[in-house]
Amino acid sequence: MSARPTLYPLASLSQFHSTPSAQDSIPRHVEDDLRAYGCKLIHQAGILLNQKQVAVATAQILLQRFFYVSSLKQFGVADIGMGALYLSSKLEECPVRMRDLINVYDLLLQRAAHTVASASSSSLHHPAEFKYTPMSYFGNTFYDLKEALVVSEMQILKRLGFDVQVVLPYGTLVNYMRLLGLTSRNEAVSMAWGYLNDALQTPVYALYAVPTVVSAAILLTTRRLGISLPSSPENCWWELFDVEWEDLWSVCGYIMRLYRERTTAEQVEIMGLLSKKDLRQWLEGRIT
Amino acid sequence: MTSAASSVSSADSSTHRKRSKWDCETDPALVASPQPPSKRRHIAMHHADVSPSLSTSPKRPAQSIFVPPRTRHPPLASSRSVYSYEKLNSIEEGSYGIVFRARDKQTGDIVALKKLKLDEEKYGFPITALREINALMLCRHDNVVGIREVVVGETLTQVFIVMDFIEHDLKTLLTLMPSPFLQSEIKTLMLQLLSAVSHCHSNWILHRDLKTSNLLMNNRGTIKVADFGLARRYGDPVGVGGMTQLVVTLWYRAPEILLGAKTYSTAIDMWSVGCIFAELLLKEPLFQAKAEIELISMIFKLLGPPTNDSWPEYSSLPLAKTITLPSPQPHQFRQKFPFLTIAGIDLLLSLLTYDPERRITAEEALQHPYFSEAPAPKHPDMFSSFPSAAAGERRRKPFSSPPAPARGGGHKLLTDLE
Repeated sequence: MSARPTLYPLASLSQFHSTPSAQDSIPRHVEDDLRAYGCKLIHQAGILLNQKQVAVATAQILLQRFFYVSSLKQFGVADIGMGALYLSSKLEECPVRMRDLINVYDLLLQRAAHTVASASSSSLHHPAEFKYTPMSYFGNTFYDLKEALVVSEMQILKRLGFDVQVVLPYGTLVNYMRLLGLTSRNEAVSMAWGYLNDALQTPVYALYAVPTVVSAAILLTTRRLGISLPSSPENCWWELFDVEWEDLWSVCGYIMRLYRERTTAEQVEIMGLLSKKDLRQWLEGRIT
Repeated sequence: MTSAASSVSSADSSTHRKRSKWDCETDPALVASPQPPSKRRHIAMHHADVSPSLSTSPKRPAQSIFVPPRTRHPPLASSRSVYSYEKLNSIEEGSYGIVFRARDKQTGDIVALKKLKLDEEKYGFPITALREINALMLCRHDNVVGIREVVVGETLTQVFIVMDFIEHDLKTLLTLMPSPFLQSEIKTLMLQLLSAVSHCHSNWILHRDLKTSNLLMNNRGTIKVADFGLARRYGDPVGVGGMTQLVVTLWYRAPEILLGAKTYSTAIDMWSVGCIFAELLLKEPLFQAKAEIELISMIFKLLGPPTNDSWPEYSSLPLAKTITLPSPQPHQFRQKFPFLTIAGIDLLLSLLTYDPERRITAEEALQHPYFSEAPAPKHPDMFSSFPSAAAGERRRKPFSSPPAPARGGGHKLLTDLE
């Protein structure tokens, strides 16, 4: 019997064209950077929690999907990232303790807030070093974060229609690299693997099927390392994997735009918009 | 704007697709309907500076079945409201929640709504419910109950799984039906069960609670495996260890779990299948034990106690030391199942094998000679139908004579005549 491929959900054309955040007049580049930062937080939390990469990657893909059905004005990226990581840890059978996850997010958010604060107080030439203050045992921080966590998890499930099936790209990458005879070059394998992981901070896994994303990682790798593969019409290597050039190129664009140098001001601006409250204030400030 | 033009061009291109050597088989329906490429075109146009001209894809090879066209992927969609359904009657209530029969207000379809109990959840959405929903979505099969969607109520604590409504469960049917299933019927049911179990296992899902009350049957002779509340993924890279021993309803529980094995796999489902096979033959559960120890001794009695030969790992199991083995004796299957053919006994023995490594797999069992010897499996359409308790239908009493005339009424009738 043949195992049928899993038909995981992908954003539709209209969902891509006009995201809920865009409808709330959040600029595209801010949305993209916030999505990326939300995924970066998941990644950092995953490292601090010693969580498996499968759970981290799944959480990042769920976050990207979520913001095709919901607006950043309604749900902060930090909250949704925390909920997504909690959910994906259950899905991948490696559950994390709620308190551990909350502590880690509290640290990460405090650090971001510190960066924003020290950037705005421009009078200080040498900003104070960040020092983490653990949440007080009887304070409300824990319960507030816990509430946000539970609500986010439920909202992700509800707004994604409980279809949280995710297919990760790593197995496919190994197969494709073998097929193209690239596995003998270690630096090619690890570079392509790295591109796949970086792509987790972009929306491509919510927009394109796995073969397309994997082929994009291979294309970037071969171009970077100057490896030539059959690429002229009639004999294009990506056609082996049923990938369209336009799609492939678009995914490469998403990944490369992630590496664009951001100014400190741009970075700080994004770090100040992690909660829906901050984002709403910022939106109002822009209008007036 | 370009979508119309590009879909035309792709319709042209579909006529002279060339077959790629990577194709194993291509769904004809899949090739016939060209995927509307408007979506990718539009995405590509955002990077117009780098994208090549739009006319570069005139000939497209037919796609491999492993890369379904993007139109086959469902869009991201939120849960609908439970008010899309009209409640008809409640079917049963279990520890996990209540099951209702309901009607889809749009299509008129009759469905089963399973309400999850979420009120006392301390750790967010319960992992067991997640596993159940995921397993059902992953294991779509003719003999697995179909999940339609998951709908929500007004608050975040109201979640309902919408499934196909199936008239009977096999347990109730076995107790109510006047005579046991025929051999030909048992073969059909077993083939369906084995193909469902094999499908789940090939998708890396263990059911962990196979029993007759979790096998639903419709009036067209088809059984559907249901209640994936204990199901979970298994095998690499999902956690192999750390699986609980608190699985499978006692009567259907495999000996390795009873003896505290830390890891177990697909073989535990196959033991349950063996118990179900025996139950279909006997018209009552095979091992009706009240507790673990009683169950172990019943198993020892029917199979003969395990030996180094029949189950080499037995002595290394955590609870093996606590049990004193009875004196060796041969198995009692022939006495218990006097009318079963030799092939039938062999299948039962292969399913109820001590050593999980040597227990037959679902895939192998489907090829067992029992299913090819006479009598052949009965076609599902030839099964008789039964009144459905879940739909609130009553069984007509077999010999119900009309009631005796009521005295008062008869008297009145007479007076009326006067």
